[in-house]
Amino acid sequence: MARQTSRLAYGRWTPFWFLAPAVFALALIGVYPTLFALVTSFRQYNLTRVREGFPFVGFDNYVNALTDPTFWQTLGRTGLFFLCTMPIEAGLGLLAALMLHQPGLTMLRALARVSLVIPLATTYAVVGLLGRLIFNRDFGVVNAVLGWFGFAPLDWLGNPTGAFVAIATMDIWQWTPFCALIFLSGLSMVPVEIEEAARLETGSRWALLTHVQLPYLWPGLTAMLILRSADVLKLFDSVFTMTRGGPGAATELISIYIQRVGFRVFDMGVASAQALLLLVLTIALARLYIRVFYREVD
Amino acid sequence: MLSFLRNVSAAALIMATAGFAAAPAQAETWDIAKAAAPYKGTQLNVIFLDRPGYRAIEKLLPDFEKATGIKVNYEVVPYENTRQKEVLNFTGQGDYSIALVDLVWIGEFAENGWIAPIDKFASDASITDPNLNLKGFFPLLLDAFGTWGGKVYGLPFDNYSGLLFYNKCMLKSAGFDKPPGTWNELKDVYGPKLTDKAKNQYAYALQSLRGETQSADSFMRSLWPHGGSLLDKTFHSNLMSKESQFGLNFRQELMKYMPPGIVSWDHAEAVNGLAQGQVAMITEWSAFYPTLTDPKTSKIGDCLGVAPEPAGEAGRLPALGGFSLAIASQAPEKEQKAAWIFIQWATSDAIAKDYVDAGGVSGRTAIYEDPSIKAKYSFVEPMVASWQKGVPEFRPRFPAWPAISEIIAEFGSKMMLGETTVEQGSKDIGTRMEAILKKEGYYDGKKPLLQ
Repeated sequence: MARQTSRLAYGRWTPFWFLAPAVFALALIGVYPTLFALVTSFRQYNLTRVREGFPFVGFDNYVNALTDPTFWQTLGRTGLFFLCTMPIEAGLGLLAALMLHQPGLTMLRALARVSLVIPLATTYAVVGLLGRLIFNRDFGVVNAVLGWFGFAPLDWLGNPTGAFVAIATMDIWQWTPFCALIFLSGLSMVPVEIEEAARLETGSRWALLTHVQLPYLWPGLTAMLILRSADVLKLFDSVFTMTRGGPGAATELISIYIQRVGFRVFDMGVASAQALLLLVLTIALARLYIRVFYREVD
Repeated sequence: MLSFLRNVSAAALIMATAGFAAAPAQAETWDIAKAAAPYKGTQLNVIFLDRPGYRAIEKLLPDFEKATGIKVNYEVVPYENTRQKEVLNFTGQGDYSIALVDLVWIGEFAENGWIAPIDKFASDASITDPNLNLKGFFPLLLDAFGTWGGKVYGLPFDNYSGLLFYNKCMLKSAGFDKPPGTWNELKDVYGPKLTDKAKNQYAYALQSLRGETQSADSFMRSLWPHGGSLLDKTFHSNLMSKESQFGLNFRQELMKYMPPGIVSWDHAEAVNGLAQGQVAMITEWSAFYPTLTDPKTSKIGDCLGVAPEPAGEAGRLPALGGFSLAIASQAPEKEQKAAWIFIQWATSDAIAKDYVDAGGVSGRTAIYEDPSIKAKYSFVEPMVASWQKGVPEFRPRFPAWPAISEIIAEFGSKMMLGETTVEQGSKDIGTRMEAILKKEGYYDGKKPLLQ
């Protein structure tokens, strides 16, 4: 009893007060807007028709969103975007992580690790503007490089496939380093003695990767998939500055469509319903990834 | 400049606008400092764009602030974000005292009560310039940019007309000593001779990036001159009419003479295309004249020519665009009155010459009668000619336009890319547009058919 009293010497509520600012901030910037969006999703809530009021309309906004062909088309396009970019980002990220995990060249490796942060630290809108320049038909870097090999300039942003490839490339450029850093942290978790023993046992890098290192990479991969899925579902700035969702609807991802509904048409009711459907989708995907990919290292 | 502001005019002008009863029959000296004295220290908040007209007024602002003691805080925002910021500010009872109103937002802003009609302020002689003279604006501009339902809400500030900018030297090399007078001539005569794909040179560029650029600059420009229109008299789609279909198919044919990837070209690319000698002709807003004449941003130099937009089967109906400044209803009364003084000053005859010299385009008629202005700026004559006749509803100005504009932008781009046919795309736009207009109440007599 005396021991318990001494443990509580700082006061029973003290830990709560330490946590309070973080909880308050989270409630203010995370929970409140989500609850507000939830309420809004059940109302007719058009900011340009304020005079009509904001009556409750039940599930009308959800029905509207789920029966809207554009919603499904843009969601499908977002899924395709994720399937095109994620494997490349993970693959290149793993390759970079393995290279950086090699012994030796300490200074260069440290420099490379720091430089990996640069794309991550670049603002999305700036990535989009850079992409607009890089893929410009007449003075873009990509066409200049293609020109060295005798290829005619391609009109990247002016045709649907080219524009999709361009936004995917910029996404890969920005997020491959993130995957590399996650994998690198996974590789650094492998006990040195086990890795060294394995290196003595086999000269095969593939065997080392699959039998020794891979188990330590699964948790990182799961986190990466969860974060990137959520991120792709809300990817807006870079694509908007690069193509505005065009040409046609070639690069109109779901977030761009929701932005159009929310901030061009100002139908906040439908936009909130769409956003909450995406939240449900994100949670479902996260659960799926954990079930399929997550493995505790024994 | 200060003395100019204090003693603008002693000439006798008639305040001719009906409804502004307090305006004196005899023009008086407008002592702006005296009028603004009760509002000294008032801060006004307004959005400006990063365009020549705004940079021009920014240069002149210190004179206004010094004379009146009213501080104008402007926030420079990209056009695409402007409406969003203003709507959120107005619905959230924010701090904007002045609304920057694109002509296609006037219906939405007025019907929602976000902007106040000017009559309340214009009838107060203590804050109204005796030389306000609304008839001194081009009627088309005042009507299109500032008027809704017969009431004036805003005064034309940043004024554009679509013009044909062309490279005289390129035209001359191809054997032309003047620009095309008609769209057919541009396509059938000038197009083939001025296009050399091997040299990456094209006769014409029509900015068509998805967004307002596609819906306004590209799509609507293809309808009106050929006799087409978006809506018929009952507010149903008119896109399947013979004239509208002709206009949209004409745009498809014209693409042969445009650079590849034109659907990704915004204003900057089109202006740059002409400035760097890649295209021979563009139809762009008059506001881009300073960009094309500035040696830092343009190589075209003396080769630049400016003409009215070509005529179509329905005559010369050039694109019409621009912004007015209106008083925000949400602002406190003191700010509103200070805002009224600022708006009058910014759009006045008194500063029109300085404004034009600083790179702006005034909406006042008198300034363009000045021979020195005509001689100095080659865009003036074609622009004034374009403003003599035009359609205020070049783009409908009702509140439903932003939603309709999104649909046009999507299907208009798809038509140009060949992802849908002109006919099918027109049907798709029509169906979706009519659904919006039905929801708005235009088909059951709930709303007057104003556009």
